[in-house]
Amino acid sequence: MNAKKKIFIAIAVIIIAALLYGYKEYNRKNKDLVNATADIQMNAVELTAAFEKNEKEANGKFLDKIIAVNGKVKEINKDEKGYYTVVLGEDNNMSSVRCSMDPAHQQKAASLEKNNVVAVKGMCTGFNADELLGSDVIFNRCVIQNKN
Amino acid sequence: MKKRFLFLIALFASIINVIQAQEKFYTKTGKIFFKCTKSPLEKIEAVNKSSICVLDTKTGNMEFAVLMKGFEFEKALMQEHFNENYVESDKFPKSDFKGQIVNNSEINYSKDGTYTAKVKGKLQMHGESKDVETSGAVIIKEGKIFTNALFTVLLSDYKISIPSLASDKISNTVNITIDCSLELLKNQNQ
Repeated sequence: MNAKKKIFIAIAVIIIAALLYGYKEYNRKNKDLVNATADIQMNAVELTAAFEKNEKEANGKFLDKIIAVNGKVKEINKDEKGYYTVVLGEDNNMSSVRCSMDPAHQQKAASLEKNNVVAVKGMCTGFNADELLGSDVIFNRCVIQNKN
Repeated sequence: MKKRFLFLIALFASIINVIQAQEKFYTKTGKIFFKCTKSPLEKIEAVNKSSICVLDTKTGNMEFAVLMKGFEFEKALMQEHFNENYVESDKFPKSDFKGQIVNNSEINYSKDGTYTAKVKGKLQMHGESKDVETSGAVIIKEGKIFTNALFTVLLSDYKISIPSLASDKISNTVNITIDCSLELLKNQNQ
């Protein structure tokens, strides 16, 4: 093979690789968190306290991070469309961590019971302060890590 | 005699409690769908399953709040662009609506049925607030309230800019659909 042909092939390979990468990146789905490593591990009560103390600072620390939250199950909510939300926190505290379950992995949530201690891994999307309804840290794409 | 008196007081108090409690209905799992009305190449739509909605059935006052980072797109790249380039969710993490069902007196919340609700209020998104109005449905069924409304908004009204390169792929007009199942907010006496 002469030099010209080699260069031609090399360029073709690079272009094809770039196109493939572009295609993959464009079609990339949101990562399934089941196998993802949590960036931060935290207790539900401490997490809500951090947001209640300084929301802006907590936003900077926790938003868009994969967090493994551990805590006591306050409530397991199944909404009218069949989506599960696991609510973590202490009964005497109106604040909670609400974990909207990834629909692909929510069967584990269905078997949870109130007062179970669980670790839930999910993406932190923010904080809703509300005196009337209780303040919540909201997570989505959640998966149950383990159950005690 | 004293016992009876105390009993009547307790009964009276609990009735007041029940009447007061019957004013507000809420959900923390309200669905909000976000959809570009014109996107010839691909679907540009997302759903947020964790919005808060509160409805005061006595006054018709209606509020909902949503975290922008909670909008789930099918494609990760689209979600990232939505957050980073369009709604800038790091700067403006929340969007909310504060308004009213203006024909609230026409809705009989204690009778099962489907009612048309004219909703008017202020929508805040990307740090900008604008008056919006639409016609939606309020469905009363077995003690629960289902609300459904579609707001059509212009992204430019909220200072959300679409780069000219993308303007033929992404429309400035967006449909925001609210779909909530509300339950009674019971008095929280701690």
